[in-house]
Order: sequence, then C-alpha cells, then structure tokens
Amino acid sequence: MPLLECRGLTRNFGALVAVDAVDLTVEPGEIRAVIGPNGAGKSTFFNLINGMLRPTAGSVLFDGKDITGLAAHRIARHGISRTFQLTHLMPDLTARENVRLAALASSPGRWRIVGGADILERAGEAADRAMERLRLAPFASMKANELSHGDQRLLEVAMALAQNARLLLLDEPTQGLSIEETERAVHILREMLNGEDLTVMLVEHDMEVVFKLADRITVLHRGRVIADGEPEEVRQNAEVQNAYLGGFD
Amino acid sequence: MRARGLFILVIAAAAGFGMPHLLPGYLVNIVTEALIFGLFAMSLDLMIGYTRLESFGHAAAYGLGAYASALLLLSFDIPMLIVIPMAAIITGVVAMPIAWVCTRSTGISFAMLTLAFAQLFYASVYQFKDFSGGSDGIAGIARRAGPFGIDFFQSKIGYFYLVLIILILAFLFCRSLVASPFGQVLAGIRENEVKTRTLGYNTRAYRMATVVLAYAFGGLAGALYAPLAGFASPELFFWRLSGMVLIMVIIGGRGTLVGPILGGAVFLFLEHELSALPMVRELWPLIFGSIFIAVILFAPQGLWGLFLSWRDKRRIAVVSKSQTDAPHAAS
Repeated sequence: MPLLECRGLTRNFGALVAVDAVDLTVEPGEIRAVIGPNGAGKSTFFNLINGMLRPTAGSVLFDGKDITGLAAHRIARHGISRTFQLTHLMPDLTARENVRLAALASSPGRWRIVGGADILERAGEAADRAMERLRLAPFASMKANELSHGDQRLLEVAMALAQNARLLLLDEPTQGLSIEETERAVHILREMLNGEDLTVMLVEHDMEVVFKLADRITVLHRGRVIADGEPEEVRQNAEVQNAYLGGFD
Repeated sequence: MRARGLFILVIAAAAGFGMPHLLPGYLVNIVTEALIFGLFAMSLDLMIGYTRLESFGHAAAYGLGAYASALLLLSFDIPMLIVIPMAAIITGVVAMPIAWVCTRSTGISFAMLTLAFAQLFYASVYQFKDFSGGSDGIAGIARRAGPFGIDFFQSKIGYFYLVLIILILAFLFCRSLVASPFGQVLAGIRENEVKTRTLGYNTRAYRMATVVLAYAFGGLAGALYAPLAGFASPELFFWRLSGMVLIMVIIGGRGTLVGPILGGAVFLFLEHELSALPMVRELWPLIFGSIFIAVILFAPQGLWGLFLSWRDKRRIAVVSKSQTDAPHAAS
C-alpha cells in the first residue's frame, strides 16, 4: 500500500487553477522530488497535503486513511511533518528548544500545565538525537535566529525529523543557500536519509540537489503532472526539457 | 543559581511578612492593594508576555472577580476564604465563551474583541441595576470569617497576609506553568504560531486555555480587591483599568512574571502616594506617561527585563574573566 496517495487533487484561487487534478502515489521508503518552474504549484501542493489549504476537489490518503481537509495540526499528528520554503522557526528560542518543541508534539504530556520537567527532558533527548543527525549539536544553545542561514534550514529539517513523522515534506531545503552551503546541506541530508528509514517528498529548484537526493521525480507544470519517473527517464523526457530543464542546457 | 533564586524569594517573602508591622497603619491597605494589582498584572503577563495575546480588556477579569466575590459575600453565608477561590473559578468559567470568541482572531482584532467584552460588562452593570447596583456599585462587603472559625484574615494586617500568601502561591504556580510543556507550547505560539500548528499542536486550544487561566488569575485579584475596598464599582470593568494594567506589564517587563508584579505594585503605590502630594496631583498622568514613553524607547523589554539582561551580561563577563585568569584549568 502506498504511504501517500493523492487522487485528482485540485485547488483553485479564483480563476487560477494552481493545482490541477494531480494524481500521485508515494511508496514507503521513497525519496520523491517534486520539481517544476516557479508558479508550477509545488508549494500549494504541499499546503494541500499538510492541511494548510483545503483542496477544491480531490482527496489525500495517508497510509490508507482519508485525511482530506483535516486541520493542519491533525494531519501533523497523523505523521506528516513539513518544512517551509521561507524559514519558519521560533527565532527567540534556542535551537534545542525549537527541536524539543517538535519532539514534544507527539508526547501525551504536551498538555501538562505545571511541572513536567521529565516530559521535557525526554523530548530534549529526542531533540538531541535529531540535531546530532543534522550536525547541529554544537549550536544547541544558540538562539535560532543567530544560526547561519544554512543551519537554520537544517534546523527546520531536524524539527521535522524530531516530530517522528512517517512522511517528511521538505520545501526547498537549500533555498537561498550559497553553493558551498548547498553542498554541505546536501551532504548532510544524504547522510540523514541513508541512516533512517524515511519517506520524503522534496520540492526543489536546484536540479543538482534533486538528482543527488531523489530516487523518483514528479514534474509539475502549471499545476499539472507532466512527467513522473526515475531521474534518468525524467531527464530524457522531451516535454520536461521543453517546460523546464531546457533552460539549463 | 536556582537555590539563589529561592533564597531571594525567601528574603522577599520575609520582608513582605515583616512589612505591615513597620508601616504606618494607613499605608497597610495601600500596600495590600498594590500587591493585588501586582497579581492582576502578572495574570495579564501570561497572555501578553508568554503567548503574545495582546488583551486591551483585562479589566473584564478584575471586574468579574470583584463582582463575583462581592455578590457571593452579600447574598450567601459563605466564608471569605471560600468565596475568593470561588470567584476566581467563576471568572474562569465566564471566560470560556469569551476565549472561544476572541481566539477566532489574532493581533489587533483580538485586542479589540477583548476590549469589547470588557465594555460589554461595563454597560451590563448599568443595565441590570437590581442585580449589580448600577452606578452605585455594591457596597458594604464584609470579610466573613471562617471556615473553622478562622478570623485571622479579617483584620487589616491579616488581610495583607492573605493577599501576600495568595500572590506568592499564584507566582509559584505561574512560574511552574511557563516552564512546563504547556508553557513551551505557548512560547512556540508566541514565536511562530503557524509553525507551532504544523508541528501538531492545536494552537487555538492552547490560546483559549491561556485566556481562561489569565482571566481566572485576574479574577482572583479582583476577588481580593472587593473585600479590601468594601465595595465593587463599574469602574472595575472600564477600559481605563485595562489600559493601566497593560502599561504596567510593559513597564515592568513582559514575559518575566516578576516584572509585571513589581510594575503593578510599585506604580499603583506611586499613584496613590504621589497624586496625593499637592505639587504633583494632576501631573501624575504626565509623569506616568513620560515613564512609559521612556521605557518603550530605551528599554522595550521593560525595567525587569533591563535588569535581567544587565545581570546576564555581567555574569558572562565574570565567566569569561575567570576563564582567561585560569586557562590551564580547562586542560
């Protein structure tokens, strides 16, 4: 059974059809990239899956359960975590507090109003493990907004990881990074992906990053899927060349 | 360091417990009211400082608590020591629908909705005269003794102690709250609500719970005020009080609990004392306003926040000095 299945997923903004009848399945353990030019509907697509937006039509099945139109926090509790294209952190909390909050979300003690030091301690240990995987341990006690941009991007990934989710949605994890920073981030992400049994969906602009990380690629163009397959197939696909990759050759 | 904090708390408490015996009699009531106002300001800090829920109508909580305790004391034969927590709980219960409505929005519309509810109560006091006494308010509130014949808290000094004990307990509770898992989620909401929601938290439920808790503690302060003053008046719901407590939280230092307690207590005391001086009188709002502007400009984190960052800086300086003094100690 696929972990994620989208059927005819559609979202209109007025007359604009941002996501147009997208059918897509992601198998457990897959690293799937979603690519496409600006305005192709990639981020909207993510927003439909994680509940930030309600679809106009179509449905989303996660692990066989229909999660279409559920509130964002409920979908997160079902086991889907996400990062944002523009960094979304708690700027004034320390890096560790950020990740600890992510880890705490799956704890039944998250409503404890007084005390609860033991609950926070356990969440903190989970946070330390996630930060270790993304090589953020040395920055644990720094405030999130004092981290370099590259480490902030990785901190968001660490948070998604600490949520203990079964599906990670990464929205342009290397967005805005320099070439060196991107290389380092991709290296660390690869390491993390090899070490864990994760299912990941990744929106990315940088084709180098996509071909290094993904084992399957879906190409969106004007809200529609125009290609879907192994990286090599997609690279050869004429329509993709035309719509998107052509500009790079 | 924790031990030192506790030590300071014990010293402060000891000083507080000795205070009424050192003060001239007429000041005891004013200091008591100042402590009540400190509690009131602290309750607002849960919303403003810890969750960034800017309320412009926190007088609603104070007024509800005061009227609840006034009406309970006048209408029923219940001891004051039981009425006060009852009034706080009633305030919290009344706050539930208010919280449900207000948390539908955020930012400035949230602020306006809280203000609207406070003004609604203010208008209702005039509307339901038979029940609330209208513009005359409710007078003749007695501090009924008991249970078990406890009458220590009836006296002026006894009442001061009651307020001080409740303030300390409320502070300890809130300090534990802001460090709890719940408190961490509030910090997440304050910093980035969208992100906190996508982590899997029902942030609106947390915001509603915070409003209810803040109202209950604000109601506790109001419930302590009515038996102190001996009356409850519609002014307790008025926006002027909401504005004053908001300013005191900001001057004291939002998000620190201690700052708002000190801000609320010190400024209420100053207002009482200074506006009685012939040379100050009407100038007091001008002085208060100037202090407010100065704090916003030069210490936006508030006076207690300023003190804390000064202390942190000094501590870092001390630590780095001791490291340079003894570089071999680490190796």
